[in-house]
Amino acid sequence: MAQMKRYSYDLPLAGLVLLFALSLPLWAGDYMLGVGFTLAMWLAMVQSWSLLSATTGYISLGHAVFCGIGAYAMVLALPVMGIAISLIFGGAMAGLAALLIGLPVMRVRGPYFVILTFGLAELAKAIVMQAETSMGQFSRLIFNAPSLAVLYWVMLALAVIAVAAAWLLSRSRLGAGLVAVRENEEAAEAVGVPVARLKTIALVLSAVIPGMIGGLLTLRSSYFDAAQAFDPVLSFTTVTMAIVGGLRSPRGPFLGAIAFVLLSEVLWLRLPQLYMIALGALLIAFILFAPRGLAGMVSRLFASGDKSGKVAGHGTA
Amino acid sequence: MRRFTKAALLCACMTSIAQSVFADEAGPVRIGYSMSLTGIFAQAAPSQVNAYTLWAEEVNAAGGLDVAGEKRPVEFISYDDQSNPANAVRIYERLITEDKVDLLAAPWSTPIHLALAPVLSRYQFPMVGNTAASVQLREVAPGYIWFPTAVIPDKLGVELAKLMKSEEITSAAIMANVSPLSQEIKTYLIPALEAEGITVTMSENYPPDIRDMTTLISQANAGSPDALIALSYPADTFLFTGQAKELGVKAPFVLALVGPTIDAYQKAMGTAADNVVTVGHWSPKQEAWPKAKIFFDAYSARYGEAPDALDSALAYMSLEILEQAVAVAGLDREALRAEIATATFDTINGPVKFEGVENTVTPTSFLQIQDGSLELIWPQAIRTSEFRPKTAW
Repeated sequence: MAQMKRYSYDLPLAGLVLLFALSLPLWAGDYMLGVGFTLAMWLAMVQSWSLLSATTGYISLGHAVFCGIGAYAMVLALPVMGIAISLIFGGAMAGLAALLIGLPVMRVRGPYFVILTFGLAELAKAIVMQAETSMGQFSRLIFNAPSLAVLYWVMLALAVIAVAAAWLLSRSRLGAGLVAVRENEEAAEAVGVPVARLKTIALVLSAVIPGMIGGLLTLRSSYFDAAQAFDPVLSFTTVTMAIVGGLRSPRGPFLGAIAFVLLSEVLWLRLPQLYMIALGALLIAFILFAPRGLAGMVSRLFASGDKSGKVAGHGTA
Repeated sequence: MRRFTKAALLCACMTSIAQSVFADEAGPVRIGYSMSLTGIFAQAAPSQVNAYTLWAEEVNAAGGLDVAGEKRPVEFISYDDQSNPANAVRIYERLITEDKVDLLAAPWSTPIHLALAPVLSRYQFPMVGNTAASVQLREVAPGYIWFPTAVIPDKLGVELAKLMKSEEITSAAIMANVSPLSQEIKTYLIPALEAEGITVTMSENYPPDIRDMTTLISQANAGSPDALIALSYPADTFLFTGQAKELGVKAPFVLALVGPTIDAYQKAMGTAADNVVTVGHWSPKQEAWPKAKIFFDAYSARYGEAPDALDSALAYMSLEILEQAVAVAGLDREALRAEIATATFDTINGPVKFEGVENTVTPTSFLQIQDGSLELIWPQAIRTSEFRPKTAW
């Protein structure tokens, strides 16, 4: 019952937010639109990351690798395929890379998995840098990138797709299998859940959208160089947003992304050092005092007069 | 009641008119820029920010910026781009559309300049660049951005080979950071060396965050080359110099790419820095540029250290160009664009004139640290001293 009630409340709200977001380019200035682009990007990124890491508990610290691969594939394809198809090609290449990476990587767990994902991302960066150098390319300029409004709409679409995918996943057999992996992988395998296959599917799903995000980010700055496309800060920020937002709630990525983008708009422009300190302090505070993140706080707030909600709220903490 | 409302409205109108008139007449000229205060380029930021600040202080002390005949004070609005081109794009959009600045100054680094070019075109907002250096600059559509640098890798490769040839160098070992500028220079340098009959005994790349260069230096030493060329960035320039000293490099011609022009380099390296050759086109010693020494003295007095002959000089030059263009064209962007694109400017680095995006007057030059000061040693026409072989570390 609690579930039903929450979604009957969430859906119209989501509709309103989406309408507002869609209309943004029609009335907002370029600066606001830039903020909207960033917000949509983080929402799409955190939600994609959650498809793997929040559902299975395998924390990836290297999701920037998919942005980088997607960006690089798009840049290479651009002269041949045109912008729209190149973007999709970038996403597909990121998915393919996830499939190849997944075979060895999904065999290790816990801290080993975290370290391996981070190391692989750095390795991929080094490989692309060397490849570019040996081809006599030092960085690439992109001409005729689409306008910010178009980039924004595409990014918004990615965010919506990521949210919808997370929602569908949470209701599917695949999602149930992945949760089983998170809760007890051996037990899941013993009762016949095809653990290895499910994990690889989750990794691929969580890589495709970041691949296209990488392409869009490159179009936004109309400039590609490997160090920037594979920037590990992308990975770190994604994980931080997810934890602050709340790992186990569908609202988590949304709240985490909004909180961070707003925080960065307030602090980052004026007090960059303080912003990084705030980032670290928030992460520690949330892990210690609010392990269910902003989403947990919100549901507790709404559930204070509602016993069933309160029980549900503490159930997974 | 109605009369009261009318009176109140009238008052409000008059106040706002008075304010806007007042603002137009005496308000400062606002100049926006972003700077890499944090992130991988952070160590380069002070050399540029200091030059900007010095320029503004000088302009304000002289009664303000000459805006087509009217003197107005200047003030800066700046943000940290965290060394990230995507952030810089957002910051310049903000400066133009939200902060509504009157003029723009350049950020640090080639990637950020390149990323900004489309933004400037979109808003038709002219900006004089400074620290960008790449053959790719020529790919940028001319119009709203200009590059006063003379460090363009293809010309630089050819001129370096000529300088080495004139000093009777016959062999060279090259080690290059994998960063774009180093790699570009290497690409043009090797064929130029071969064309001059100089043998390349070694050519190796290394990662930007290298922590130990002893293997590379030993490998270079093994070939006993006349020249050791480190296409390095500041962090590895310091590392290279320290370790070359430890290993006792014998080559008489030693070049380090970016770093030796920083005041801290000479202070940290002492005698090991002496007679190191580097890239740069400005020296306070050049008497044909009377403003050069004045800038050097003012900067040294203000900050207690010498200006960076590359970044500080370029940063200051870019504002001199802007200042002289604004004096003629005022703040109208199209008039300003036309003036920057066509006029010849008198700077601390001598005359500057643009063709397309490029400064075609300032020659590609090389500097050498000699007894604690930076001397121009190439080309012959503007040199302030002769090349000295590096005999000791």
